[in-house]
Amino acid sequence: MAFYKFLVHKEGDSVGIATDDLQPHEKVKGKVLEGEEEYEINVLMEIPLGYKISLKDIEEGEEIIEYGEKIGKAIKPIKKGEMVHVHNIKSIIWGGNKDGE
Amino acid sequence: MENKIFGYVRENGKIGVRNHVLIIPVDDISNSAAVAVENIIHGTLAIPHHYGRLQFGKDLELFFKTMIGAGSNPNVAAAIVVGIEPKWANKIAQGIAETGKPVEAFYIEKNGELKTIEKMCRSAVRMVEHATSLKKEWVNFSDITISLKCGESDTTSGLASNRIVGRFTEKFLQNNGTVLFGETTELTGAEHIVAQRLKKEEDRNKFLKMFNEYQELIKEQGVDLLGSQPTEGNIAGGLSTIEEKALGNIQKIGNAKIDSALDYGEQPVGKGLHFMNTSSAAAEAVTLFAAAGAVVHLFPTGQGNIIGNPIIPVIKITANPNTVKYMSEHIDLDASGLLNLRENLDHYADCLWNKIIETANGKFVKAEILKHREFVLTKLYPSA
Repeated sequence: MAFYKFLVHKEGDSVGIATDDLQPHEKVKGKVLEGEEEYEINVLMEIPLGYKISLKDIEEGEEIIEYGEKIGKAIKPIKKGEMVHVHNIKSIIWGGNKDGE
Repeated sequence: MENKIFGYVRENGKIGVRNHVLIIPVDDISNSAAVAVENIIHGTLAIPHHYGRLQFGKDLELFFKTMIGAGSNPNVAAAIVVGIEPKWANKIAQGIAETGKPVEAFYIEKNGELKTIEKMCRSAVRMVEHATSLKKEWVNFSDITISLKCGESDTTSGLASNRIVGRFTEKFLQNNGTVLFGETTELTGAEHIVAQRLKKEEDRNKFLKMFNEYQELIKEQGVDLLGSQPTEGNIAGGLSTIEEKALGNIQKIGNAKIDSALDYGEQPVGKGLHFMNTSSAAAEAVTLFAAAGAVVHLFPTGQGNIIGNPIIPVIKITANPNTVKYMSEHIDLDASGLLNLRENLDHYADCLWNKIIETANGKFVKAEILKHREFVLTKLYPSA
């Protein structure tokens, strides 16, 4: 069932996790871990296995949700299908007064 | 599922899955004698470490708890303690003797190291004869204590390997088992979930006090842990923030409720799931869990942490296919099939259940085969 190329912890999360290396312009399917919800996303850039993919357009300053919980906030706008990592999100708890770069 | 293991029933009724004759140095300068005995006498195991001199207050108390706990661990059949001076060596030996197992203390002052080694070796001959004459018995799997700590985590940990441990933990607790977990700093961002899961109000307050004390300690240093948490390895594995790492971390306890909150080195009372205040550094945490009575440790990893412990087998589980491919000599359970949904969570929880039983019955884990024996003491502050 290597049909799904990313997995999502909880319905409503803003990110999924690539379970395969994703290529730009690839249309990939994903699935929520528990439940039936499926997703289809146009990949905008290379996203290696284990890295996060944005499931929606995210504004600068917006909270990033994974596991149904806050994992950080965006330090720049992120498009649906882009990679989400330390270059565009940062911790809310630690590094709060820094630029997060 | 199999629910019996072939283990050692110790004098105090606790169940062990290994049968060590442990040579315990009290202090750094007695490591040499301890290792010498290990080299001469077959079947002995030394646990060298860096401390045991001029410690004081709570730090000294934790030192004694850890050393006595190591010798008292049910995986230890008998122990020999060696220190430069008699007082602390005797204190540790007396603490271990409360379990009823054979223990003898030696000291180097007024003897010299060579004479001490000879005496220890003669004692070790008797201890090994005793240990190897003990017979294993069929006992309930749920009578052992298991500890949990992950390391070199990545996003596959939260997606798969930690969740497998979590599902196993739920099942083991339903069978009346005992489980320890910790990693205080690596709960940052998920501490509210741990607090909610604690069954008793007093434990919730104790947990939050320990958690906040560490957060304050970080602040007092004028820093935050950005830069060391998540680690370089975590970030390379796709983890972006401490919150994300912590939420992945707590998947290890599944949906289980927590029976108590323990401070560093405190022994759990009763069965069930217990949180212990520990460092998130793998060897420090596993050393404390072993001192609190864990006899098997479950270690999910993403990028491939290679830690072991001298006293308890450390079982490595990974779901990262690259780690399976490049670090296979460290991995005991390949769970990469959960990432592409080839197999489900229950399947892997059952595989882990069987793996632990197999380990408890005597099969070596990779960390034992590779002689990974990281015995690392937690220091609360500098020695005098």
